[in-house]
Amino acid sequence: MAYSDKVLDHYTHPRNVGTLDKSSTDVGTGLVGAPECGDVMRLQIKVNPATQVIEDAKFKTFGCGSAIASSSLATEWIKGKKVAEALAIRNTDIVKELALPPVKIHCSVLAEDAIRAAIGDWKKKHGAEAPVENTAEVKA
Amino acid sequence: MATETHPETATACWSCGQGAESAHFCASCRKVQPAVPMDFFRFFGLERKLNLDLAALEKEFYRLSRKLHPDLYARASSEEQGWSLVKSSQLNDAYRALKDPVARTQYLLELEGVKLEEQSSAATLAARESGAEKKQVVPPELLEEVFELNMQLQELRMGKQMGEEDPEVITGLRAAKSKFEAMLEGITGELKILWNAWDAALDSEERTGVRDRLVALLNRRSYVRNLVRDVNDALEA
Repeated sequence: MAYSDKVLDHYTHPRNVGTLDKSSTDVGTGLVGAPECGDVMRLQIKVNPATQVIEDAKFKTFGCGSAIASSSLATEWIKGKKVAEALAIRNTDIVKELALPPVKIHCSVLAEDAIRAAIGDWKKKHGAEAPVENTAEVKA
Repeated sequence: MATETHPETATACWSCGQGAESAHFCASCRKVQPAVPMDFFRFFGLERKLNLDLAALEKEFYRLSRKLHPDLYARASSEEQGWSLVKSSQLNDAYRALKDPVARTQYLLELEGVKLEEQSSAATLAARESGAEKKQVVPPELLEEVFELNMQLQELRMGKQMGEEDPEVITGLRAAKSKFEAMLEGITGELKILWNAWDAALDSEERTGVRDRLVALLNRRSYVRNLVRDVNDALEA
């Protein structure tokens, strides 16, 4: 399948690949997977506690070009945004920006999940909205 | 192989009017019957069970291939010609889906209303609605494990790229390959156990339980299958 130029650009020059300190209280980590294709994606954010602004974001994705491009774009978009603004990003925004074909939509879903999971982890560290079930969730 | 007769769906033969119709041919006048959509198990006259006799399936496939072959209908009515064409193509799809153990399991789950492709999107929608964190369709421990294995694999692969044929890296890759292949084999073993559980399930409640375990196992399998594929690529690169 032919990838769009934007996918190729993110795939060959991924932005923000890397790792943040998982144990830091300002860092939220999201690890998500799409069993349909066996992709796995880790996205981390570093949030300024005073301003709630996401100051840094890193990702590491094992998967196809579209999954890598989706997560690369996601980190680019959330950097500099407030947590609440980042939560408003929808997979459809990613689909549009990267011109993903229907069979690759789940890659964009994965990126949206990763943002939400990273923010969820960060919130948990701050005692807000701790999920009641699933106490076995991976923490720092 | 099971008989071709399906009393529950029997309708009169379009040609001779006799009632005893099989899925494909009239039992009385032997004429080909209209091609109607039917699931692959029914196409072969099978129950929806996961253990099946592959040799018998193959034999039936060849038997039906011959009997439905469009060449045999060159002088039949245009309806019959059309049905033989459609049925021949249904036959190929059905055989392809049923002969492969994983494809068969996926197909059965589909018939049972499980959309493996959509499970992740569905969970995302639910998370968006509730504002809560998405419930991952695979357990977090598995994701951790797969992520770790991928990291190791990448390191080994990079080592191979840098140091060319570093024997230590090759040994590491081979060890990873055996490990992943053993995992895949283990999953195949678990699949067979679940097949038996499915085939023995007595009521819908029991079947739902087995169905969910099958979904979880196939999800896990797609991760392990990728690991096997990637380690093989790395070794061949």
